[in-house]
Amino acid sequence: MPKRVLIVDDAVFMRNMLRDILGAAGYLVVGEATHGIEAVQRHRELKPDLTTMDIVMPYKNGIEATREIVRTDPSAVIVICSALGQEALVMEAIEAGAADFVVKPFRPEDVLGVLRKVLGDERSP
Amino acid sequence: MAPGQDMSRYVGLFVAEAVEHLEALSRDLLALERERTPETVDSLFRHAHSVKGMAASMGLESIATLAHRVEDLVDVLRRGEGHWDRSVVDLVLAAVDSMLVQVRATAEGPPPTPPPDLLEGLSEAVRARTGRPLSPTRVARAHLFGGEPPGPAERPPRFQVELQIPASSQSPGVRAFLAHRTLAALGTVLFVRPSLEELRAGAIAGGRVTLGVEVPGGAARLREALARLPDLELLAVEPLDPSAPTAAEPPPAGLEPTQSVRVRTELLDDFLELAGELLLAIARLREIGKRMPEAHAPVLEEGVGRLHALAKEMHNRVMGARMTPLAVITDQLPRAVRDVARRRGREVDFSVEGAEIELDRAILDALAEPLLHVLRNAIDHGIEDGRSRAAAGKPERGSIRLGVRRTRDRVVVEVTDDGRGMDVEALRAAAVARGALTPEAARQLPESEALLLACLPGVSTARDVSDISGRGVGMDAVKRAVERVAGTLELSTGAGRGTRVAFRLPLTVAVLQLLLVRAGGEVVGLPITKVLGAVEETPSSVDRSSGAPVLRHGSGLLPIHGLAALLGFDEPAPRSPQPFVVLETDREPVALAVEGLLGQEEAVVKALPRPLDQLPGLAGVTILGSGRPVFILDVPRLLA
Repeated sequence: MPKRVLIVDDAVFMRNMLRDILGAAGYLVVGEATHGIEAVQRHRELKPDLTTMDIVMPYKNGIEATREIVRTDPSAVIVICSALGQEALVMEAIEAGAADFVVKPFRPEDVLGVLRKVLGDERSP
Repeated sequence: MAPGQDMSRYVGLFVAEAVEHLEALSRDLLALERERTPETVDSLFRHAHSVKGMAASMGLESIATLAHRVEDLVDVLRRGEGHWDRSVVDLVLAAVDSMLVQVRATAEGPPPTPPPDLLEGLSEAVRARTGRPLSPTRVARAHLFGGEPPGPAERPPRFQVELQIPASSQSPGVRAFLAHRTLAALGTVLFVRPSLEELRAGAIAGGRVTLGVEVPGGAARLREALARLPDLELLAVEPLDPSAPTAAEPPPAGLEPTQSVRVRTELLDDFLELAGELLLAIARLREIGKRMPEAHAPVLEEGVGRLHALAKEMHNRVMGARMTPLAVITDQLPRAVRDVARRRGREVDFSVEGAEIELDRAILDALAEPLLHVLRNAIDHGIEDGRSRAAAGKPERGSIRLGVRRTRDRVVVEVTDDGRGMDVEALRAAAVARGALTPEAARQLPESEALLLACLPGVSTARDVSDISGRGVGMDAVKRAVERVAGTLELSTGAGRGTRVAFRLPLTVAVLQLLLVRAGGEVVGLPITKVLGAVEETPSSVDRSSGAPVLRHGSGLLPIHGLAALLGFDEPAPRSPQPFVVLETDREPVALAVEGLLGQEEAVVKALPRPLDQLPGLAGVTILGSGRPVFILDVPRLLA
């Protein structure tokens, strides 16, 4: 069964790009959220296997959203998608419970490499 | 001593006291060689007995055993069952030396075991003289080091892990941080090289990271966890020798044991007061210098300048010594929250973040009670029972978060719950019913202020009367306590979503940069941190907006307030140009019309004595170099 993914990013461009990369690799993108509050809601509804999370977003940032999601679902797997130079924020997100991170601008193979690793799946999904 | 209790906080005291007893033991032994008196022998026995008791309470079995055998031997000799000879003194001295080494080592980690021949020698000496075996030594099971019971055999295995972060990694610092965190989640990280601070900063020579870890599951668990981390190569996992664990490793920077003494808080208060007085005296001296003949002025000024720099530095150091992490008060909160929640039959997850942030001791002390009260309120009146929560689509367990963060010059302490929230309309109604507000005024009050009505004595929206929070008494006390340390209280709420109570607090008490202005013929001080600008304008730049005077400032219009009138003085005649001070308030900035801008001054703030502290709008008082007392204004409260 393909792994189900929730994409959280306020930029349409990033969401589309991630959807394409993940879709092509056989993941099932089950939902998208454009800010932290929506992310928490959608995560609760969809219970995805994995969530990609932007950090800087309106209403509620990715760190807060990560913290909230992990608090209600400690098994949630969240991968932070951050821009270069946001190291301090990424570390904060990791402390909040994120499983791993990728740095934008990213290459498809980097994203997929991280996703497979954190899902404990060396093969394609 | 309770079994399993964390004793690590007593280590310092134990070491200091045990060393004293052991040194006294040595002195007694040497005195005994010169002249043998019953008093000396008794003293010997008492010191050995004390060390035994202390070491046993600390769970330090090897020291306790050794002290016990010394005590036995001394007791035998005391009762005249044998002779003191040089060999006995040598034996006991050797035991004392061994205990000293072990006691001192306690401060750094688990103590080494005593040489077995020493124990054997002491036992043999007793047996030879009495023909009896020794009684066993009782030792408390206390957790001294990292929560692990003493004894290397019970310890999980330790490993040294070598990691390589590839040169292609975009964020080697974050990668290494994640690896550290992953290992910390598995067990205990004993050391990391480079240091965690260096890792965070991305300073990793050659991408090579070495960690020492203690992992219950062993190497397999370790490898499995690390395999899940991308962009990371596991070079080696090697067992660490458990008997020589961290000692062979250089301790991480910043964790070296520092010499410290305990001082009473009042002593720090005295130091602060004195350092403040010193600054005031120097300011006075500087004023006098201004009136000196020109020939002497520069020399004096240089001297006074140097003196001021030193006194300032001293003041800063004293302030630094008073800074205490919030953990001092928050450490007790999880237990308190649990107790209250249980009593109320609520399921609550409580978390604390940012407790490492430091505040002045005086502010911290003032905070403990109000914080506890706010938490009780959150449980009593905020968090619903499990069934109501489930019906409202919320997780059955309520959540209360205590978050502490630093802003530019303040510390914000926030308590956020996800309970039913506060009912703003009910608060308005209660305030009206109490006669505190007219219905009209209550209606016009913005929500953020209407919530503060909960702080009026006797106003409450609690649906039930509880033995824990009382009936609305409490929030007024909370507000007063926060304001007493120059903080502010903020409330926000969402019906059904929860309540947030925030204390905005100054980092420290004491030194403030002031802008001195003249108003109503008096000199008053405004905290510079609140001043956005000072301008002089001709009356033509003063407009009127819906009847009220406003000042054009930048791209906006600021409401104008006459400071003299705010202070209750007669309105002075308008001047041209008219000086204004633009001040930040809790809401929009305002322009204060003053009679003159007198300059900037560094002031040591003194709290107002009663009854002056009851006057709203006065934040404190300072004494200028000239000896003149000046009130420091709290403009947001003057405007309120």
